[in-house]
Amino acid sequence: MAMNWNCAIAEERLTDYLDGVLTPEEAAAFSAHTAGCAACARMLSEVSHLLSQVQLVEPLDPPTHLTAKILDSTIGPRTQTADWRRWFDWVGVIWQPRFGMGAATVAASIAIVFHAFAPAGGKVTFADLNPVSIVHSANRQVHLTYAHGVKFVNDLRVVYEIESRLGPQPAQMNAPVSAPQAQPPSQPSNDPHEKSQAVPHSGRRRITDGLMAFVDPSDWPDGITTRSVR
Amino acid sequence: MEPDAQLIQSCLRGDGPAWEELVRRHTRRVYNLCYRFTGNGTAAEDLTQEVFIRIYRTLGSYQPTYGAFPTWLTSVTRNLLVDHYRRTRRDRLTDSIDDAMPQLEGTHSPAPSPDRAALANELSEQLQQGLARLSPELREAVILRDLQELDYSEIRAVLQVPEGTVKSRINRGRIELARVLSEMGVRPA
Repeated sequence: MAMNWNCAIAEERLTDYLDGVLTPEEAAAFSAHTAGCAACARMLSEVSHLLSQVQLVEPLDPPTHLTAKILDSTIGPRTQTADWRRWFDWVGVIWQPRFGMGAATVAASIAIVFHAFAPAGGKVTFADLNPVSIVHSANRQVHLTYAHGVKFVNDLRVVYEIESRLGPQPAQMNAPVSAPQAQPPSQPSNDPHEKSQAVPHSGRRRITDGLMAFVDPSDWPDGITTRSVR
Repeated sequence: MEPDAQLIQSCLRGDGPAWEELVRRHTRRVYNLCYRFTGNGTAAEDLTQEVFIRIYRTLGSYQPTYGAFPTWLTSVTRNLLVDHYRRTRRDRLTDSIDDAMPQLEGTHSPAPSPDRAALANELSEQLQQGLARLSPELREAVILRDLQELDYSEIRAVLQVPEGTVKSRINRGRIELARVLSEMGVRPA
């Protein structure tokens, strides 16, 4: 004989149904009732949803100082070393990658800004905190940085020019050894072609004058005479 | 991990680190039970401290025949929660007309709870608000069963009531909590 449950019985046995401890006949009666009763069907749905949601709730973390507070109130204050170490608990947080990278970036930014705006001499006075002084200091720092950059580039150009003029010319390297090149450049020549070649020699002499004192004369290129050395 | 029984024996011999381990191991359980029941972070913190002070003083009276240590700990916590509820009843009765419903202190306090920020989980907060609207008997039954995950016999030992009463309270508590949450908009999709 089939059971015929009403709302009161269905509500009373709801947890047993959810726990799966009803007999097959009871479970069938429960299902039959909820199938025909909108209120009990909604109750079953809501409670089932509640239990599924409760499973997702994580336990709360107690305050970090609570354990120490309990221990202090039971076994008394612990050793001074433990208390001293507690002051540095935040170090563990700082070393986390998400905070460590941010802290390093901020520290680097502060260092750069301080370096750019710091007055020369290293001593900071109240006058240095004046906005006008800060602007002048920043302006001076910018110009110095720019001048250093220009000098650096110019130095690179000078080095390149010296090397290009001291080294063998590509045309001379490829050309066969000829009589005019074998002749001493001190000998006058009426050939206009040779005159045109003398122009870079004079330029080379002018640039390399300061360097000739450091070069062995036996290693000098053919186009440079002893008159170049001062 | 050293069993609780061995730690207790060490504690009774005056072993401080053993007591420290016992406290660290069970603080979260006690704090969660207190917080879910009171809905107030400060009260939960004070009650947790009070629980462990009482445990420390009465540890010598604990017998394994009473049940597992967590069950005994939960029983002590529950007794203190009942005392706390009775102590604060007068305050609740003299509050506004809103307290005609079985709410507990701090639930709708204008000042934010210290642990409010920790309740990042919206579901956890909604559950807390729903629990606050249950009667203490139903609330503790639901907390012990569904949040502390004690079985019926452990809850019977904690509440000192027959197992049938335990089941009945859990059943009614769940239905009432589901109805409250549904009114708050937390309902099945």
